[in-house]
Amino acid sequence: MFMRLRGIAQSATFAAGLALAPAAALADAITIVLGAEPTTLDPHAADDGSEKAVNDNVFETLMVRDAEGNLGLGLAIEEPTQIDPTTWEFKIPPELTFHNGEPLDAAAIAFSVERMIDPELNSEQLSYFSTFAGAEVIDETTVHILTSGPDPILPARMYYFMIVPPEASTADDFAEAPIGSGPYRFVSWDRGNEIVLEANPDWRGEAPDVSEVTYRFIEESGTRMAALMAGEVDLITNLLPEFTGQVPQSASMRGLEHPTVILNTNGGITADKRVRQALNLAVDKEALASALFEGQAQVEQGQLLGATYFGFNEDISAYPYDPDRAMELLEEAGVAGGDITLVGTAGRWLKDREVVEVVAGFWSAVGLNVDVQIFEFDEYLQRLFDKENRADAIFVVSGNELLDADRSFSAYYAPSGFGSSNSFDQLEDWIVEARTETDIDARQALYEEAVAFGHEEAILTFLLNINNIWGMSERLSWQPRVDGKMFVSTMTVE
Amino acid sequence: MGRFILAKLWQGALVVLSVVVVVFILTRMIGDPVRVMLPLEATEEQRAQFEEQLGLDRPIGVQFVDYVTDVAVLDFGESLWQRRPVMEIIVEKAPATILLTLAAIGLAIALAVPLGTIAALRPEGIVDRIVVLISLIGLSIPQFWLGLLFIVFFALTLGWLPTSGSGTPAHLILPALTLAIPAMTRLVMVVRSTMIDELNAQYVKVLRAKGMRPWRVVAVHALRNSAVPILTLAGWELIRALSGYTVVVESVFAWPGLGLTAIQAIERQDLILLQAIVFLTAIMVVVLNLLIDILSKAFDPRIDLRAA
Repeated sequence: MFMRLRGIAQSATFAAGLALAPAAALADAITIVLGAEPTTLDPHAADDGSEKAVNDNVFETLMVRDAEGNLGLGLAIEEPTQIDPTTWEFKIPPELTFHNGEPLDAAAIAFSVERMIDPELNSEQLSYFSTFAGAEVIDETTVHILTSGPDPILPARMYYFMIVPPEASTADDFAEAPIGSGPYRFVSWDRGNEIVLEANPDWRGEAPDVSEVTYRFIEESGTRMAALMAGEVDLITNLLPEFTGQVPQSASMRGLEHPTVILNTNGGITADKRVRQALNLAVDKEALASALFEGQAQVEQGQLLGATYFGFNEDISAYPYDPDRAMELLEEAGVAGGDITLVGTAGRWLKDREVVEVVAGFWSAVGLNVDVQIFEFDEYLQRLFDKENRADAIFVVSGNELLDADRSFSAYYAPSGFGSSNSFDQLEDWIVEARTETDIDARQALYEEAVAFGHEEAILTFLLNINNIWGMSERLSWQPRVDGKMFVSTMTVE
Repeated sequence: MGRFILAKLWQGALVVLSVVVVVFILTRMIGDPVRVMLPLEATEEQRAQFEEQLGLDRPIGVQFVDYVTDVAVLDFGESLWQRRPVMEIIVEKAPATILLTLAAIGLAIALAVPLGTIAALRPEGIVDRIVVLISLIGLSIPQFWLGLLFIVFFALTLGWLPTSGSGTPAHLILPALTLAIPAMTRLVMVVRSTMIDELNAQYVKVLRAKGMRPWRVVAVHALRNSAVPILTLAGWELIRALSGYTVVVESVFAWPGLGLTAIQAIERQDLILLQAIVFLTAIMVVVLNLLIDILSKAFDPRIDLRAA
């Protein structure tokens, strides 16, 4: 059935090609499977990975990143400059257009900024753009983005900020039929079934190899893999590590997710620094990575950051696996054989329950009596957000889309963060200062201090940085990226 | 008949009313949608603003009165997760679920009646034993696993059918079969036992003594008299499928129906969408029950109206 359908689709494309395109190379169409259907294709409304997966190809951003995560220029034609503490200046080339012909000029960028912070829109993405205060058009190709305070990471934020056409985005059907400026343009959305994009022939960049991309939605991971193995689709997301050997091709890249365990420095058995260090020494991170993730994870270097994130401290490395030293430390602290509570959840993040159980196993092995408590996600969140009653240890997965220390440190290092369990004022000071420090070296130095302090005090049990894994068909070639984005323009098919 | 239907309608209305209340309470107990929907890093102010926009900061009593008055005019409000009217989502997803369940129950009846009848012809015979064995296997296999087995066999190994999705009749076959099998196995057992009873009844002996052809005795007389229990159970299977099993089958086959939507609504704590799905499913169950009762009565006028 599928073969026949494809045959029809191909002959239709062929016929259309004869009719319209002169000698356009009609490369193949591909199908990508996402875990869930987007709820909207308005790029400003939802905090939804599926929506991003589609719209990353339809819309453009002022800044981009390379596969390794280094920030570069997107729509912007030169490095943005911070002309005063609360104003960033961006310049774009002249005569850019959206798919519908609307000009992509400074006014469109200013409009997009104002749209994001409009309370009417009530965007789920606001926490990524919380410093936006407004925008000013200087001339057709120059725009000033105003921030509520000095914001050194505004350029990094702009990588997540899609520029929308002022006129089309106010139309009622924008969320169903998005119009952007990227290498692909929207064709159709058959709700429940598929979304189709086609290559934008007018795009200023290099013409992509893939002429058409269809997105399908399969939540069940076994079914997703079956669709790939049956040759129905070319790319599936979130392949389980244990299945990498069974699919035609798999590709993996360290991702943005960092599972970790927050330790309570204010009370209980974990109030003693020696105990927190012992909890780090007790866990064999290498074993965790190889046994649970089939090697598809890296040991975290004693900080809640990947090596390419801003703020990474090269001088700090992971606590070694040293159960004997851990037991000594527990002995010194006088809590050998003590009780510790570890809170986690199940089914939210890749192997969340398993990680918690393995960590608990390592802690038990150094003589602790671990009480593992797994909660349904909402109940778990109640405990994570409850700053009054902290469990000794809470498992969490920190996602860092901005590849900058601010987001994860504000959450898990700073005492005021929703997920931190410490009251070290110095951490708060460094992080708050770094948030608005516009001198890059000074900012880096602040984070390095915070990293070193957090490591020494063992405010977390540092674990892993998990890889994203994709399953691919034989005919697809593609290099995955640190940020997990699936830019179809970087894919080729045979 | 009119009084019978009125009485049933009254009972149904009571059920629907209590469902309205229970659903409201239950969906508010499953958790806080704001906590789940925003990124972990969202600030307190952002959460408060989001909550206000969703109308979840109002007192629970106010929310309940609004909910009941809206439900009365079938306005279920806007989905928290999809941000569009819930009715729009349901109208979009319901046809796929109804198609899937009708296909599955149709298939189940079409398989169960001949199989059960053949088995009943010679109880304890070899055919009977095989049918009973197959039924027991079908009944014991978890549907989730059965669906995956079908995908591996029919889509991966043989390559005959698509693994998942929807859009063509071929896409319907595997999910319908998966949904049909447990229903079929239960139906087979009922067809078998009622047919055994009927075939031992006096009138069958009389008909046979009269020299009526055996197939006519079985297919026309005995089967007709077994219709009420078979129909009742088939109706129940339809209800079970609609209100529960589709959740599993639709998830396995990425079938874009209400079952899959319900699961996703639960994962995202979309209580507005969830309460609408549960409420409408309850209405469907009530209506189906009513239909089963009326049909049973039509097949067997002896059924006591008042007792029913």
